[in-house]
Amino acid sequence: MFESLHLDLSVFAIVLGGALVTWMTRIGGPWLIARVRLGPAANAALEATPGAVLVALVAPAALSRPSDALAAAFVCLIARRVPMVVAVVAGVLAVVMLRRLM
Amino acid sequence: MSTQISTGSAAIPASSRQEFAAGVVHCLPIVAGAIPFGFLLGSLAAKAGLSALDMGLMSALVFAGSSQFVAVELLDKNGSGAGAGLAVVGAILLVNLRHLLMGATLEPRFRGVSRARSGLALFFMTDEQWALALRRGPELTLAYWYGVAATLYLAWLGSTVAGALAGALIADPTAWGLDFTFIAVFLCLLAGFWRGVGSLPPWLASAAAALAVHALSSGGTWHILAGALAGGAVAACQAKGQGRARDV
Repeated sequence: MFESLHLDLSVFAIVLGGALVTWMTRIGGPWLIARVRLGPAANAALEATPGAVLVALVAPAALSRPSDALAAAFVCLIARRVPMVVAVVAGVLAVVMLRRLM
Repeated sequence: MSTQISTGSAAIPASSRQEFAAGVVHCLPIVAGAIPFGFLLGSLAAKAGLSALDMGLMSALVFAGSSQFVAVELLDKNGSGAGAGLAVVGAILLVNLRHLLMGATLEPRFRGVSRARSGLALFFMTDEQWALALRRGPELTLAYWYGVAATLYLAWLGSTVAGALAGALIADPTAWGLDFTFIAVFLCLLAGFWRGVGSLPPWLASAAAALAVHALSSGGTWHILAGALAGGAVAACQAKGQGRARDV
């Protein structure tokens, strides 16, 4: 019990440093963008960023094995037709089955 | 109960309480996928010699999953000496650099919100928080934001501390396909950004860049930044091409 309450000061210093830099990356985006004037090309780039980030987030994991790629394609097909919860549950069930089969 | 902050098109403004509840409900599928990973991180931290209190403070103050995995891995390998500590903070910064781009896309939503309020709200901006907030569109309210944030925060804090207390008991989230939850959620959110075939070139560029960087770098989140930049660059070229077409 007391071990779980032990505070390592050097770890705590790292945590504080990590917390500060992370918070700065979070507030930095809106702060920077409010101070620069964007042309149409930069604006288009910024508008495409959310989709590009999502693609980059999923691409390596989704294409890591054939079973996962198939399940990912299945989720893409149903994503716009059913509520998100249904699509997520169906996708997870599909990947569990496909991983056993492939 | 107070009225909605942004002016929606609906005649009846939704109450803050309803907005908060909507935020909680919308992130429940994400929480179901996040809890096993929080538990796994906690048990890895215990293996690296961190106490449950160390883990809890990290989750409460840093609150950024991928960077915490990297930090725990580095602490396990190199310890927490001064030089090693600086390297950990640097690694956390690099892993979280993507927040700059993500936050920039949320700027219109935070116009008119005071600096103190947006500074506090943005503390909670994780990948999942950002994606759900964007999906909400111009209707986004602070109440909705905090509905998502409170749920994710408590789930993350609770599961990482529980994992650290359980210690050696390591769960494998991939066994139940729970790792796929994130993929499925992000794909659903991505579907909401589909604007016709014009969306395809930036997305393909992002996928190609992300896959290439992911293959070259061992782990980390550099591929996210690479994909975002590649997709943005292609979109910028598309806009330039359209501008030229109009001039002709």
